[in-house]
Amino acid sequence: MRPSRREFVKWVTASGIALSLSRLGAAEPSGFPARANLPGRGNFNPAANGAGRIDGVAKVTGAKLYTSDFRAADLPGWPSATSHAILVRAPDATHVYLGMDLARLDGATKPSVVVTAENLAKIGTRVPEFYTGDLFCPVGKTPLYMGQPVALLIFEQFDAFDAARLALRDGTFVKFGEETGPVAVDNYTSLRFTRVAGPTPDSADVYSPVQAGWVSPGRIQNTALPVWSSFAKETQAPYGKAAVYGEQIRAELDPKNPSLLMLDRTFETQSVDPVFLEPECGLGWYNKKNEGLELVLGVQSPYEAAESIAFLLGQARAPFKPARINTQFTYLGGAFGGRDHTPFVLYVALAAMFFPGKPVRLAHDRYQQFQGGIKRHAIKMHSRIGVDRATGKILAFAADHVLDGGGLANYSPTVATVAAAASIGIYDVPKVDVTTVAVHTRGVTAGSMRGYGTLQTMTALEVLIDEAAAALPLNPIEFRRRNALKQNGRTMMGNRYIVSVRTPEILDKLEMHPIWRQRAEEKARLQHSGVLVGTGVACVGKDYGSGGDCSLGRVELGADGKISIHGDHVEMGNGVGTALANRVALHLGGVADEVSVSRIDSYDALGLVTSGDSYAMDQKTQDALEKNPRWVPAISAPTSASIGAHVGTHASAEAAKVIFRYGLWPAALELWRIPSSDIRAKDFAKASWKDGQLTLPGLPPLALPVLAAAAHARNLVTGAIAHGFSRWAWSRARFRFGGEQFRGEIDALAVRRGGGKFDRLDRVSVLFPPTNNNRIGTSYTSMCGTLVRVEIERKTGALRIAKAYSVFECGQPLVPEVVRGQAQGGFAMGVGYALLEHLPPYEGGPGNGQWNLGQYLVARGSDLPLRDLEIEMLPPLTPDEPPKGMAEVVMIPVVPAILNAIFDATGRRFQSLPVTPAMLKGAIA
Amino acid sequence: MRTETRFKILVSAAALALSGLTGYAASQTPEHTLASPDSFASISDTEARSAAIFTELGKVLTHPRCTNCHPAGDRPRQTDASRLHQPPVTRGADGHGSETMRCSICHGNATFEPGRMPGHPEWHLAPREMAWEGKTIAEICAQISDPARNGGRKVEDLIHHIGEDTLVGWAWHPGFGRSPAPGTQKEAGALVEAWVKTGAACRAK
Amino acid sequence: MTRLAITINGRALPPTEVRDDLSMNDFLREVLGMTGTKFGCGAAQCLSCAIIVDNPDGSSYTSPTCVVPAASFDGKAIRTVEGHAKNGELSALQKAFIAHFAFQCGYCTAGFLNEAQVLLERLAKTPVARAQLEQSIADALDGHICRCTGYIKYHEAVRDVILADPKRYLA
Repeated sequence: MRPSRREFVKWVTASGIALSLSRLGAAEPSGFPARANLPGRGNFNPAANGAGRIDGVAKVTGAKLYTSDFRAADLPGWPSATSHAILVRAPDATHVYLGMDLARLDGATKPSVVVTAENLAKIGTRVPEFYTGDLFCPVGKTPLYMGQPVALLIFEQFDAFDAARLALRDGTFVKFGEETGPVAVDNYTSLRFTRVAGPTPDSADVYSPVQAGWVSPGRIQNTALPVWSSFAKETQAPYGKAAVYGEQIRAELDPKNPSLLMLDRTFETQSVDPVFLEPECGLGWYNKKNEGLELVLGVQSPYEAAESIAFLLGQARAPFKPARINTQFTYLGGAFGGRDHTPFVLYVALAAMFFPGKPVRLAHDRYQQFQGGIKRHAIKMHSRIGVDRATGKILAFAADHVLDGGGLANYSPTVATVAAAASIGIYDVPKVDVTTVAVHTRGVTAGSMRGYGTLQTMTALEVLIDEAAAALPLNPIEFRRRNALKQNGRTMMGNRYIVSVRTPEILDKLEMHPIWRQRAEEKARLQHSGVLVGTGVACVGKDYGSGGDCSLGRVELGADGKISIHGDHVEMGNGVGTALANRVALHLGGVADEVSVSRIDSYDALGLVTSGDSYAMDQKTQDALEKNPRWVPAISAPTSASIGAHVGTHASAEAAKVIFRYGLWPAALELWRIPSSDIRAKDFAKASWKDGQLTLPGLPPLALPVLAAAAHARNLVTGAIAHGFSRWAWSRARFRFGGEQFRGEIDALAVRRGGGKFDRLDRVSVLFPPTNNNRIGTSYTSMCGTLVRVEIERKTGALRIAKAYSVFECGQPLVPEVVRGQAQGGFAMGVGYALLEHLPPYEGGPGNGQWNLGQYLVARGSDLPLRDLEIEMLPPLTPDEPPKGMAEVVMIPVVPAILNAIFDATGRRFQSLPVTPAMLKGAIA
Repeated sequence: MRTETRFKILVSAAALALSGLTGYAASQTPEHTLASPDSFASISDTEARSAAIFTELGKVLTHPRCTNCHPAGDRPRQTDASRLHQPPVTRGADGHGSETMRCSICHGNATFEPGRMPGHPEWHLAPREMAWEGKTIAEICAQISDPARNGGRKVEDLIHHIGEDTLVGWAWHPGFGRSPAPGTQKEAGALVEAWVKTGAACRAK
Repeated sequence: MTRLAITINGRALPPTEVRDDLSMNDFLREVLGMTGTKFGCGAAQCLSCAIIVDNPDGSSYTSPTCVVPAASFDGKAIRTVEGHAKNGELSALQKAFIAHFAFQCGYCTAGFLNEAQVLLERLAKTPVARAQLEQSIADALDGHICRCTGYIKYHEAVRDVILADPKRYLA
């Protein structure tokens, strides 16, 4: 096997460990394309004419792509044998952990190494703050949560590992003693979001989170739930002020007020598993000779994974502190949020360090993935809505959310926040008061999962809205229309969206669709046949972006016109590689034939430095730090939050613009013999690409290879590396090019001229988004509406989705067929969430290590209307509307639409998920 | 005690034991044993004694290991909770699965422990007329005695079928995660034999 | 231990001693390094691990590899995803999957390819009426779980391969 080139970037972390990161560059045995860059020079590129994805050939030929495909023998420079580790987890969290029955692993099944809490304490590992909690439960303590690891067992030979895992599967290997009950831990976050709008749409808010900041109550009761009351002793500003407004809003939601329709409802959602098909996996090798820790991982947050591992080992005693850590990142077999900030990577690193010199593989089977993988939060939502009967306008909304965060904090604080911020969905509500608390429990850890809390709150909301419409009564779509937030309305945080708000178009589409218009006749048609028919509608908007997004991109144009792109975002099915190629093609006229994703190296030339926490920084600090032209608020961030198109392709798009402006355009001017004094020399915005040729009215078209050759020959810009940061708006900076300045939505830039090397251009000035933006819930949104027709068999309660329609908008779709596929997949995941998927909390739940896909049901083809699902994508509002995120929004409205259809069919409004055939049968009886 | 109630207790006892609450292995309870034919000697009326023996045998017949493959419909059930078989599979024309999903594709000649996959060379569904799911002991007794519904067997043939057939025998050695049928196959066979010898009587209901 | 003699993608492997409790999935992935066949659940629920088994009579079927011992494949001929393309030329199904954007993360794709390939070969022997086509495809593929795509594009890709050659596949 020939090794391919690997690039390293080195930086030294605070702990003195040099971090280098590179792309997994193992070449395949002959017959398979190289993995380093897909599709690779000279190889069939399906994306070239929009005929497929850039990773298409690799994925249909079974090429090695995913972390779980690789063994040590596949990796250049590694010893060839792979050893295997088991992460032993506690299936109980209410009894004292006494240790393991290691005696049963003897002879052929004896592990070579056992790593426990005691070992970690001896060597001095540190747990990164995000993952606070014992990495292994120490003997004598009650586990913090079901599934908490207690040890790593490392087996030199696969056969020993294979036999051992059989001996461990019944859960009795881990021994327990006296019953203590669950461990009590403080809640992960508690926040109150209160807004009181001003008298007119244009006046300032009376009070809002954006104005006043986010507030937490100061007092916690013994039950680990906060004291929300404003009159509790010791309650100080700023919480007290929010609470006063909040209490007032709740007082006005008076059921005795005849002019007000007031609904008070509690909705509960269940814990679910992302069930990405590739269980978590990692490879590690500690090379004693050069004190280098080599890792192969597949995560959504590669930069964070590398930094967390460096922190873990940063102060470890010799020989457990590596001098350098080199991490290679692969494609993912699905993720949906479950591979964003997963503690799994820490255990891969530990396995390698405790078995020095020998490559170790740590992989979950599906039982272990259910036991230890990140889950979606179960949320209990108590909501009250007040609607003016005369006008049908929503006057006020109050809610109390309790999220089950499970055993570790992970992303609970932000999930709770984002969920709260979405609790009024697409609506304009002048008075809102939402409290939220994410509690620790002994259940499995909940974190990021597609929808990020908004799936839960907007499902509850759209069911409530439907009930309100029926109670008024008012046509459900008209009710939504009357209350929809307008383009320059304020969200419940108090800010305005900075992208298009297209709710009216979505609602119109829903109202005109045959599924909606024919609902009465369809219901009547099957009335006497033992089948109940119902139609449901829902409309939601989902934010995209995290308020701390980063984009790194490197684009290079060869003298032959071939384009290669490196990006830092991760391919997990989202098609980000193809999106990169397509977006760059808009500026450079050709689709790249080499795209490398998950690259967090490759941008060395920028010399980026960072410090502080971009989410928590104050303005003064940021103003001081930004004076260093190489400082950025964050370098690289997870691929999540529907940002693949909007963020993942951003820096590469800006880099491509630079190449065009300072490389291809001057080359074109020369070839067209247009002198710089000519007025047309500034007309770069008027030029356009057609079939790989640059055209300007009145001039002969110029093919990309010709332009590229000229740019190289004349030492113009032929490559660019850029970095962008977004805190609900992109950073902007100016860079000097000769006599003029280039303004881009980036904060760092390096360029290459001709065939030379990349040189950094220090920014002349920069405008980072203000730190106050951290108070914004979101500034970006995309809308999706869904109609569903269900047929329920009276006798059995069996539900069939007869027809469905989803309509959404996402700005410019970079790869339309990938977008459509996401919408179809999101629909399927929504069906599973509404009707099939359920994990009991605690005992009996997946923390017991006995759950698999036979017990946990996800949607199969037979559960879906495969030929009756219509997906409509609205065209961009304007030709230059940038791409928006849509991968989450397309999953959300299908859930409440199904529930609303069930109500229409049965007269029963369910307030919890999932709704199973047994429950339906009971409702009909 | 009504069969359904006993069945439910059996199922819930087994489910409780195997839910992995604290990882304790399934434990033996009186429900999991079979009384010997001798222990019915005190019932002087032969017919009543015969019916009582069959009721004891009913502990086996109504156990999930048996009812899962004697389903009322065309889809087997699985596990001690008797949930519908996942992945979705169906009886097919011959009880050995559909054209694309034959039982034997997954269920090999023997239980494969690493895959927790039960196996036997004859793995298949009992014919529809032999469905016991949801039936009372009396109904099963009548059904199992009826040559039209028991595959043309004489009751004497049932001694071999229940006491010695190896596919039926799997029920007592089902592998990890599944509770075995009560008693042993030999004990079950002895009960069948005793029942036959006392006239193969069935309870009225 | 069993002496396993098996033919994979037309090549007879030299007989190998395998433990009786070694799963076929581990044999392919750990022993042979043929990781095109995936591991998804280990419980025959998702069929990411499914391969094609070719009977001597010319018929074929798909089999999971995660719940069956490698030893049980002694004397058998199997096809894996790595064997679909011939001399660098992708099969009709592979091309259709790409052109239809049928997969997203791609982890379940090998299983779907194997299943669809067996379906094509079965239809070529026993064609179905056009009106039955969608149901035949749905029945064949329903055992395969995909978490990303919602299945529609997979079904359309298989359907279009069949419709491109109706004389061969349809009655």
